[in-house]
Amino acid sequence: MPLQKHCRKLCSQASNIFRKFLVHILQQGPIPKHVAFIMDGNRRFARKSHQVTTSGHVAGFHKLANVLEWCNDLGIKHVSVFAFAINNFNRSEEEVSALMHLAKDKLKELADNSELVRYHGARIRIVGNKALLPSEVRQVMDYAEKTTQDNKGMTLNVCFPYSSTDEMTSAIRALIDDAESGKLQESEISEGTLESRLQIPGPDLDILVRTSGQIRFSNFMLWQSSKMAYIQFIDVYWPEFSLFHMLSIMISWQCAYLAIEKKKQTVAECTRPCMLSASVSDDETCCSEREAA
Amino acid sequence: MSVTLWLLALVPVAALIRFVGIPDDTPHQTKPFLRQIFDGLCYTILRFLHLAFAVNKSFQSWVQMTLLQNEADVHDLLLSDRPALVEERMELEIFLLSLPQRPEHFAVVLPDGHTDDIVDDVEALCAWSGMAKIPRLTVYTRDGRLKDSADAIEARLRKSKIISRAYDNKPPSIILDLGTHHAKRHITSPGNHPLHVSLWSREDGFPALVELSRSLAKQVSTGTLSAKSIDETMVASLLKDPFGFAHPELLLLYDDLLCIPEFPPWQLQNTEVYQIGQGSVKSLGDAVVRALGSYAKIEKRWGK
Repeated sequence: MPLQKHCRKLCSQASNIFRKFLVHILQQGPIPKHVAFIMDGNRRFARKSHQVTTSGHVAGFHKLANVLEWCNDLGIKHVSVFAFAINNFNRSEEEVSALMHLAKDKLKELADNSELVRYHGARIRIVGNKALLPSEVRQVMDYAEKTTQDNKGMTLNVCFPYSSTDEMTSAIRALIDDAESGKLQESEISEGTLESRLQIPGPDLDILVRTSGQIRFSNFMLWQSSKMAYIQFIDVYWPEFSLFHMLSIMISWQCAYLAIEKKKQTVAECTRPCMLSASVSDDETCCSEREAA
Repeated sequence: MSVTLWLLALVPVAALIRFVGIPDDTPHQTKPFLRQIFDGLCYTILRFLHLAFAVNKSFQSWVQMTLLQNEADVHDLLLSDRPALVEERMELEIFLLSLPQRPEHFAVVLPDGHTDDIVDDVEALCAWSGMAKIPRLTVYTRDGRLKDSADAIEARLRKSKIISRAYDNKPPSIILDLGTHHAKRHITSPGNHPLHVSLWSREDGFPALVELSRSLAKQVSTGTLSAKSIDETMVASLLKDPFGFAHPELLLLYDDLLCIPEFPPWQLQNTEVYQIGQGSVKSLGDAVVRALGSYAKIEKRWGK
């Protein structure tokens, strides 16, 4: 028995060393600043494993903890995760209640006891329409945000409950409120000022990953994804998402990196005046004039 | 023996890399020599991985292309009377009509630099929409080339034989929309099946949201609107489809790069995205058929 224990410990240490070696290899190339995950497939994973739905979500949370560790090792500074969509409230009351309990327990665990927060100084931000949540869940979320707000490590944006159209509407409303209160002139309303009022304003999203094989955004980070984010739809359930998948995505992105940067540069040259311009008619001629040049 | 050979090969390469230099934030002077060798080795391995990935991707594209049946050009398919092509057209029509679900609104993103064939592509996409009985089509290029070519596109659609054939020789009534600040253009045959076509560019996305914000801010400042009444329902009604359809249900990203080039973000909320590079298909029509085939299998859960 002690031999088995030693073997297991040795294997675990060897796999940790191997993982760090793989991460070090990847770090010789460019590393994305901001990666987002649509953690899809927990319920189908549970059905496939002949378990109840809640255990699928629990497995999903454990996978999230692993993925955050990998992202931290790689040096990715911002990670956004789609934990709960506003239209997930359409699910059964039982499932929604179970998800709320899970969120409450796991967020507290993440904020208090996780290595990511305690040793690596990760900062937790809760993004979404918190007014839709029960008060006890809101309290835990406020706690998680407050206790980590001064941390300087990786920023984790937990989108719960979130929809991108709600985010864009809130940004428009915030812009209008600032214009009404005099903080902003009407002529200063531009893409830049609107983008800065989004719940996830930046940095630019580099990679968007969706698991479970579905090939849609489901109303997640539409503004950010539309700005040349590299999109990966992976045909595996979220609890089965492995380090191999993560590293493949990274290598794929690194291979496409120069082409993406070239396209983004063309876009930025074209749209910089447009981002600041006070009239839409400038936008119309802006891109085509620059393309002609 | 083989391990020794690998070491003999890799160590000089790593040393060479060390002296040639790798772009790195950390100045070389602060890193110990062995660490530099190790980083050099890792860099070499990374480059091999990139090469292996690129080779694998090219191979997969080649396999995808060569395993397909020979897809004829949509002009040959619709206009030719050769028996083989007539049979292929009938099989394709049966396939498209038998799809368990089809998008009502189909959007296609054409890549940058895709200049010469843009009028041909819009014509072909209209024909494919006809064959698949899709009433709403949006074609998007980031830079507005479509709008610049609107007159040429209108002239082509007006006398297009392939579109007429796609609609069983009853040319559809095409309504062409060039986005905000442009009047709609009506092309031919009112009374026949309508095809609603939008030619979009970047200005229909982010700048349109900015313009909406400005317009709402103006209304609030003049007192005709209360800021509190601005909610998602209102914004959605102001950004609704110009023809009253749902936002694009299927987006064909016809580009080698898996990135959305600033397509209007609000309109992407429930869109299925199908990406295929130009190197993986014989023609745009091939990409359309594959995208529709993929869409037919999806399951929509609407958050449930």
